[in-house]
Amino acid sequence: MDGLKAVLNKLRDNEVYKQWFKNPLTYVMGAVLLSILQIATLAVTGNPWGVSGVFANWGAWIFEALGGSVDKWYYFSSAGAQNTLQQGFLNHTGSMRNLGIIVGALFATLMASQFKIKKIKNKKQIIAAIFGGLLMGYGARIGFGCNIGALYSGISSLSLSGWIFGLAMFFGAMVGSKLLVKFFM
Amino acid sequence: MKEVVIDSLGEACPIPLVKAQNAMKEMEIGDVLIVQIDHSCAMKNLPEWARKEGHNVEIEEVDDAEWEVIIEKAK
Repeated sequence: MDGLKAVLNKLRDNEVYKQWFKNPLTYVMGAVLLSILQIATLAVTGNPWGVSGVFANWGAWIFEALGGSVDKWYYFSSAGAQNTLQQGFLNHTGSMRNLGIIVGALFATLMASQFKIKKIKNKKQIIAAIFGGLLMGYGARIGFGCNIGALYSGISSLSLSGWIFGLAMFFGAMVGSKLLVKFFM
Repeated sequence: MKEVVIDSLGEACPIPLVKAQNAMKEMEIGDVLIVQIDHSCAMKNLPEWARKEGHNVEIEEVDDAEWEVIIEKAK
């Protein structure tokens, strides 16, 4: 055990380890990697990168597992949406990609030795998280996309809708910042 | 010389940064501000802002995913 500890302590100060696992990537490096990977996603799956739409499917699968049915829901009424739901979780590329993001983020934070379950500081955080999460989730669905599917993938596909989404999000973020300063400072 | 500590553990960006900015306004030259954070992006934006303002900054990793950003008011 002591031997392992010594090895790990030595690793902690290793320059290569620090560069690859400890220090965050630069913003430019992150942007370049995102661009390359979203092109790969589009080329391999035939669909642009999206994140939040997948969660609607997860919700539908959970609802169905509990005995519910979404056949009559407008959002899932198209043949394509029904087909995706019937194919199931394991055959859904978006679900696998989201799982990859979650597992990858966990891996990265463990490798950097920065995993921590953060404490909830006050009730305001709970209320803001629930209220904000509901607003974001609802908004992303009626907007047919979130900041990834509608904004990022929209703009990178040279679609005007991405820019309009971005403009609306900018004003939304301004209101959000004001609320943040008002309630959390 | 005064020392001010802000407990920002459990608070997400940009709350630690704005709290630090407000605290610095009340401080004198030579005073030291210690911001305790556990949100890794504050480790980037806090020192970036403080250095741009011309203050002396040091970052200490005190535990797994816990840091202290130490800022000495220089002007």
